[in-house]
Amino acid sequence: MSPGNESGDRFENLRQELRRGSLPLAVLAALRTEHYGYTLRKTLANHGMEIDEGTLYPLLRRLESHGLLVSEWREEEKRNKRFYRLSPEGKSILKQLLVEWKSIHESLEDIL
Amino acid sequence: MALIDRYLQAVKFWLPRDKKDDIIAELAEDLRSQIDDKESELGHKLSDDEVELILKRCGPPVAVAERYLPQRSLIGPALFPIYRVVIRALFLYFLLPWFLLWLGITIFSPDFRADHPGAALLASLEPWWLACTYALFFNTLAFAILERSQAREHLVRTWTASALPPERDPNRISRGASVFEVTIAVAILAVWLQFDAFHRVFHLFGLSITLSSSWPYFFWALIALSLGGIALSCMNVANPHWTRAKACLRLGLDCTSWMLMYWLFRSNLLQSLSGNDLSPNRALNFVSSINFWTARSAIWVLLIGIVVLIFDVRRIIRMATNATRATP
Repeated sequence: MSPGNESGDRFENLRQELRRGSLPLAVLAALRTEHYGYTLRKTLANHGMEIDEGTLYPLLRRLESHGLLVSEWREEEKRNKRFYRLSPEGKSILKQLLVEWKSIHESLEDIL
Repeated sequence: MALIDRYLQAVKFWLPRDKKDDIIAELAEDLRSQIDDKESELGHKLSDDEVELILKRCGPPVAVAERYLPQRSLIGPALFPIYRVVIRALFLYFLLPWFLLWLGITIFSPDFRADHPGAALLASLEPWWLACTYALFFNTLAFAILERSQAREHLVRTWTASALPPERDPNRISRGASVFEVTIAVAILAVWLQFDAFHRVFHLFGLSITLSSSWPYFFWALIALSLGGIALSCMNVANPHWTRAKACLRLGLDCTSWMLMYWLFRSNLLQSLSGNDLSPNRALNFVSSINFWTARSAIWVLLIGIVVLIFDVRRIIRMATNATRATP
């Protein structure tokens, strides 16, 4: 492996790590409006937060098992889809996370 | 869509039984939505190759399924460092010396090779393989049980900084150990001085023991080495830290001592034995047997000496490396 590739891989790993940390916040924020998995992915991608299905669906399940999301299967366009939205607890957690996010953002701005 | 169904079936295989259908239904819906979007974009039905590209991007079925499974490990991050230290110590201080010993005997002992021809030579290593397997298996099992027991929680939650061991200084020499070395060396020297370099005949337990002409060399060499050892130990008592000079002196003393021991074992030092109750033939047999077995044991002396020297050299290398690091 050339040094250039190594450096590129290192950057890619750190970039993914950075984005992975902010995914739950992005997902919770996007689910203030009800979505099913695919449209949620498209919404996030439109905002520059690309996320693959192998990451999104396990994350949705984890958030749901923690009581932050509620879901239901519904038919739309003749296909069964699972729709997700924030639970009341999810709304409260999202508020707290946004405060935390702003604080981190300000701290980083200060450092940078 | 046969390709998608095959893919989903492969993912389903790895999923937990109670969530299989739910996860697969959601994943199937996502994949079909992706295909619908792509078909709208391209204006034609996707070929198998194009579908395969989408599936390829999703990742291998086992990796996709793995993300839905709870993150579990046989030995978690709290215990794994301890597990690694135990396995490493077992390997370094038990299994590796055992293997090196076997290798040494195999290389240097023609009798051993003659007793174990061909595949039997490898078969003689069987107990070592078994020890490796058992050591790895039982250690892993013990740590896996610990991981699932209360012991792990206890370890993680109840530690205090004040209970941690004191900072370890690898260059520090224990004064107690140095005093012990001086005591032993003086005691050996006191016994040794009872012998005499200028006479080769000694009378012990009603026997007359005659040593070979090389005896005076051993006698004086051992006295010189004992005095050297005592001097070094006294220096260590006064200043209980390794310096490069002291480490080199230790290496020199150990190297000379073990070479001397090896030479002593191979030198047929015992020349003759005589006693009132001992016939000349029996005495001759005794002398040959003793010399034969000491010569055969010389290999063990050599191997132990090599291990000691490895530690001595390691100490010098460590000090040189630390000195290089300390230099700005």
